[in-house]
Amino acid sequence: MKALMRSMTGAILAIALAATAVTAAAAAEMKGKIYYLVPTLLDEFQTGSIDAITKFMGDVGYEVVSLDGQNRTDLQLSQIDDVINLKPAAVILAAVDFDAAKTGIEKMRAAGIPVMIFDRQITSTPSDFTSVAGTIEIGHVAADEITRLLTEKNGSAKGKVLQILGDPGDPYTLEIQQGFEEKMADNGDVTIITHPAMQWEATNAGTIAQDQLLTNPDIDLIFVHAAHLAVAVAAVLEAQGKKPGEIMLVSSNGAPVGLDLIRKGWEQVEVEQPMVAQAAALAMFADKVINGEEIKPGTYDVTGLESVVTIEEWGPNIKIPGAAITKDNVDDVKFWGNMKPPTDPVMSVE
Amino acid sequence: MTTETATAPHNSSEMPARRRQVLEFLLDNLVWLILIVVLAVFSVSIDQFLQIGIFINILQNSTFIGIIAVGLSLTLIAGHMDLSIESVMALAAMVVALTFGTGGAGGALALEPAWLAFPVSLLMALAVGAIVGTINGVLVVRLSINAFIVTLASFIWARGLVVALSGGRSVYGLPDSMRVMAVDQIYGIPLLAWMLILVYIVFAFILAKTPFGRHLMMIGGNEVATYRAGIKVGAIVTATFILSGMLAGFAGWLLASRTAGATANLGIGMLFQAFAAVVIGGVSLKGGQGRLSGVFAGVLLLSSIQTAINVMGMPPHYTQMIQGGLVLAAVLLDTMKNTIRRRYL
Repeated sequence: MKALMRSMTGAILAIALAATAVTAAAAAEMKGKIYYLVPTLLDEFQTGSIDAITKFMGDVGYEVVSLDGQNRTDLQLSQIDDVINLKPAAVILAAVDFDAAKTGIEKMRAAGIPVMIFDRQITSTPSDFTSVAGTIEIGHVAADEITRLLTEKNGSAKGKVLQILGDPGDPYTLEIQQGFEEKMADNGDVTIITHPAMQWEATNAGTIAQDQLLTNPDIDLIFVHAAHLAVAVAAVLEAQGKKPGEIMLVSSNGAPVGLDLIRKGWEQVEVEQPMVAQAAALAMFADKVINGEEIKPGTYDVTGLESVVTIEEWGPNIKIPGAAITKDNVDDVKFWGNMKPPTDPVMSVE
Repeated sequence: MTTETATAPHNSSEMPARRRQVLEFLLDNLVWLILIVVLAVFSVSIDQFLQIGIFINILQNSTFIGIIAVGLSLTLIAGHMDLSIESVMALAAMVVALTFGTGGAGGALALEPAWLAFPVSLLMALAVGAIVGTINGVLVVRLSINAFIVTLASFIWARGLVVALSGGRSVYGLPDSMRVMAVDQIYGIPLLAWMLILVYIVFAFILAKTPFGRHLMMIGGNEVATYRAGIKVGAIVTATFILSGMLAGFAGWLLASRTAGATANLGIGMLFQAFAAVVIGGVSLKGGQGRLSGVFAGVLLLSSIQTAINVMGMPPHYTQMIQGGLVLAAVLLDTMKNTIRRRYL
């Protein structure tokens, strides 16, 4: 028995030493470790962003460790406290709560850790770099597309739109709503009925659509703030015997489910959040951020998308244009929903 | 208790039998009365609420919470609880969607003939529920671990498994044979609603008319006495957890059909709604008491409020406030009912 125990202990030690050697070798090749604080894993956009950020940061020499905030502000703040003690090269933050993250960002920067903001723009405190599509702008693109669709159907920009938000506690959906409604305000003949799908839960979106179609049978178009909600709405339309396109459907975020609904004719437009490009932009500027070098404003090519860097009150900010996906361009590989990330490595900006 | 009865201003002997029967009926069906009043108020005060389609929607939208509430009721009546139902429902939906879904993370399994997907997916969902239910039951009965802890752990790990299996990705594109439940109707009523009604009829019968149901009540009332009476308490409690899991699996199967797939956050928040419905329906959290007809009314009441809010366009925060208020009101009513029973019946 003792011999067996000795053998097992020896084997475990050998494995541990080998693992340490491999890790040490890998670390030697890398420039450092970056922590990505992702708000939730219950969302395809977020899980996709982990893959993209890990890939692109690897291209420029950084190892990425992702921590799931489980949509809990308190958990993300405690993750920030933990990460500060680990002294990473940088932190990428996609905040659960835009406002609550402020103190965490300030703490990290005070500890000398550069903070890069991903996707969810925080303007209340300075950060070292921000890569966003602009949620308000997504609302604007959606409004333009919906105006076009209503004009094509009714001869002018008039009709009734059911807008299904995500969780009303999530600033992401509220900003899309803000952008959408401020642009649609120009179209006085469009009635917008707005309901939130609590906790971004698809069944809730389906139920709202079902109830509203009963009380407002003249709804022309349904605009949902995430593609996975569109699936439930399309399922309700199908269950009610509607044909694809009979009631138009527009969604935002560009997830694979939305693209598939466009191919099947249920959805007319998906407003894409350029997740891949947003992730690539972080990697392009990572060296400059971590080395404290100046980021110059101007136009940059990010995975083929013309993107603009500006120096804002909260720091350098790159805004990448969202795109409207329709049946004409749905198969374009540049859309992250087609799950074909660019194979070309990202290069650091000189 | 004896003193209170002796000094009560009225007692059963002073009340005519007919009036006592009426009072008992009213107390037993208080939730239904509230539901009728609420529906009447909504019908009068909310534009376009009073139509058959709305009532069908209320019934159909009650399906998922209603079915998991049955499992929760069974475990509560047995003197335990099952917090895992929401996650088990999501897990069953995800397993089915991952196997048969053609889009996203789906495995696109195609069976020949195509209708086989219907029974096979149903069996898979039930098996998922039965497995988690068995784990819960064994840990509670054999290892005597508190059901709250065991099922809370299952609630967490099962949701984690949903995320891990799907990688956070959505699954969609279920075959038509599996969408039947969400698309077809019988006599103008969706199959989902029929399933809800069927589940309640079957389990109300089991609770009221079978030895299993009677034993469940006895166990919840006094587990030790029931054990001493020679009833296999452990086996019945384990079977109750398995049934609860299978009901959650069944709800997950229906949910996948309804949403044409599954997402990692599918069904999130439904546990608390099921709990609210069960409490409103009069199932005692102490065990040994409860009728599924009350739970059914509780589920319909919550669904009615949700539908009314959808139709009115009221901010959704009010839904949660109203639901929370209803739960409190239900507990107060329950206390009031017990007082009335003690004093007058």
